[in-house]
Amino acid sequence: MAEVKLVNVSKSYDQAATWVLKNINLNIAEGEFAAFIGPSGCGKSTLLRMVCGLEEITSGELFIGGEKVNDWPPNERGVGMVFQSYALYPHMTVAENMAFGLKLAKADKSTIDARVQEAASILQLEPLLERRPKAMSGGQRQRVAIGRSIVQQPRVFLFDEPLSNLDVALRVQMRQELSRLHRKLQTTSVYVTHDQVEAMTLADQIVVLSPLQKGADSNLEQVGKPLELYHRPANLFVAGFIGSPKMNFFDGTLEEAGEELSRVKLGSGEIIQAYVNTASIKKGDAVVLGVRPQDVIAETNSDNVVTGKVVALERLGAESYIYMQHDCIREHFTVRVEDCHQRDEGSAINIEFPAELCHLFNAQGVAFERTRVPEFD
Amino acid sequence: MMVQPRNLASRVWVARIFMILFLCLIMFPFLMIISVSFRSGNFATGSLIPDTPSLEHWYLAFGLPWENSDGTITDPPFPVLLWLWNSIKVAFISTTIILLLSTTGAYAFARLKFRFKEHMLTAMMILQMFPAVLALVAIYSLFDKLGDYVPWLGLDHLGAVTVAYLGGLALHIWLIKGYFETIDNSLEEAAAIDGATPWQAFRYVLLPLSVPILAVVFILAFIATVAEYPVASVLLQSMDNLTLAVGSRQYLNPQNYLWGDFAAAAVLSGLPISVIFLFCQRWIVGGLTAGGVKG
Repeated sequence: MAEVKLVNVSKSYDQAATWVLKNINLNIAEGEFAAFIGPSGCGKSTLLRMVCGLEEITSGELFIGGEKVNDWPPNERGVGMVFQSYALYPHMTVAENMAFGLKLAKADKSTIDARVQEAASILQLEPLLERRPKAMSGGQRQRVAIGRSIVQQPRVFLFDEPLSNLDVALRVQMRQELSRLHRKLQTTSVYVTHDQVEAMTLADQIVVLSPLQKGADSNLEQVGKPLELYHRPANLFVAGFIGSPKMNFFDGTLEEAGEELSRVKLGSGEIIQAYVNTASIKKGDAVVLGVRPQDVIAETNSDNVVTGKVVALERLGAESYIYMQHDCIREHFTVRVEDCHQRDEGSAINIEFPAELCHLFNAQGVAFERTRVPEFD
Repeated sequence: MMVQPRNLASRVWVARIFMILFLCLIMFPFLMIISVSFRSGNFATGSLIPDTPSLEHWYLAFGLPWENSDGTITDPPFPVLLWLWNSIKVAFISTTIILLLSTTGAYAFARLKFRFKEHMLTAMMILQMFPAVLALVAIYSLFDKLGDYVPWLGLDHLGAVTVAYLGGLALHIWLIKGYFETIDNSLEEAAAIDGATPWQAFRYVLLPLSVPILAVVFILAFIATVAEYPVASVLLQSMDNLTLAVGSRQYLNPQNYLWGDFAAAAVLSGLPISVIFLFCQRWIVGGLTAGGVKG
């Protein structure tokens, strides 16, 4: 077991002409489960491959267990990797697949057998040990791939979207198995996924990456605990990426700055109060108001409301999503309600934004501090 | 099962008849050669079933004297078995080296990054199109000169032919490279993380999965070297050093065509190829890489 530390790690495939990853600084503590999450093309898999040594690090430093490992080949870094495609050796049985690394390391036969047996029992693979990969299902293959890295007793586990090839039911089951496995082995783990549910449920720490913008000095957006990212997103990107359905954003200007409570005037003239600290800016500055679809209250006559027109309605039984039109929205305006009443297309509805659940961002997309965040641990 | 058109049965029969006719066309020359080799006397024409069957040509081919019906003894004119042995030696050694070099070369082209890679691949392809026959003079003088320094690589040595045959690598490199590229790179990456050096990943992961194409290349290279005539005919001179392909030509003098003896030697030359093919056949199987990676 070891901690993983990245200092200003960057990656370019064309001699620094364009960058895929830039200035990634990260500390993954010993025994911690970290998830890299981001849309496709943000370089999260590349970052993982740099940690395990399959990609060179263009600049910056990588430490595993306190040692700088930039120039170490993969086998010396003490990492185990589980590939999205499983990457099992098709010409070997399950037992041979798992024993391959130990055989190369010339471990004696009793050690190999003991470790393979142990891994097989952890992953319930005992009845399959003599099978070839092609005679197994996707979930079983992925378990073998995990077993192959357990057998090596690595200091760090690396997972590259390990569940994305499985069907939904199996994915939920494997997610729980991975969680159980990590509690049992307590090995530092890095997990790449584009599925925020996997990241939220498995990880101690989530690392949000975005595709590198032109001129940006890093594409590391935010690092934090799952609920912290949900409740205190650092910027527009994280706010929009974490949470499903996506957060609604409205363009407006600051009407009244405040250290605890601020007032925002939307482009449509509606005034919304939000519990955020805007002491750093002044009246008239452009801001973006954010509120999650499940945080708003539909069809009320209280304060802090905006009025929108119904565009479409999805009734799912336990809940409904109302898609609305409003003058100041960016992208979309979705409202979640816990009933299934019919609402006519084109009808106007009042939507209340509870002031303590509003997010506010400046013109550059950086979040203002929320002053009344709901309790979470 | 898919719904089939109604006239399927008649179409299948047409296809069968066509294939049987085609097969006859292909098989006829082969059967003719066998027939000639079992026919007494040296006649190229005659019925397919010999009128006067005789083993005289086979006796001579195997180096045994043949007693004619009038009591005279015909001694075997040429050392056919020695030629066969020469052919097998040359083919086996050069094919093995071809396989070694083309496999490692293909690995480099499929997996490694280096400068001028694309250019080299194209150059190999184009050079391969230049017929070896046109380079006979060059090959002759090359090995003539080489023999001054390394005797066993000189003219009239089997070593020279063996080395000359290595020139046909490019095609095999292309073939194996194409196969390597169908094998997912993540298998070797997994091996690297398991602690394998690039050589070990190649030896224990990539090679076992490539056995079918290696068997195909071995067969192709073997057939090509056994049947090769122009280069061997120029490089080899003395009677005891000929390969079977060149040696068989000795039977066909303008004054005296020994068709029967020639036919026996020709059938004999097919023997090593058949053996190699039967031997390699069990490795030419599909689905070796199935199940390794999610497609």
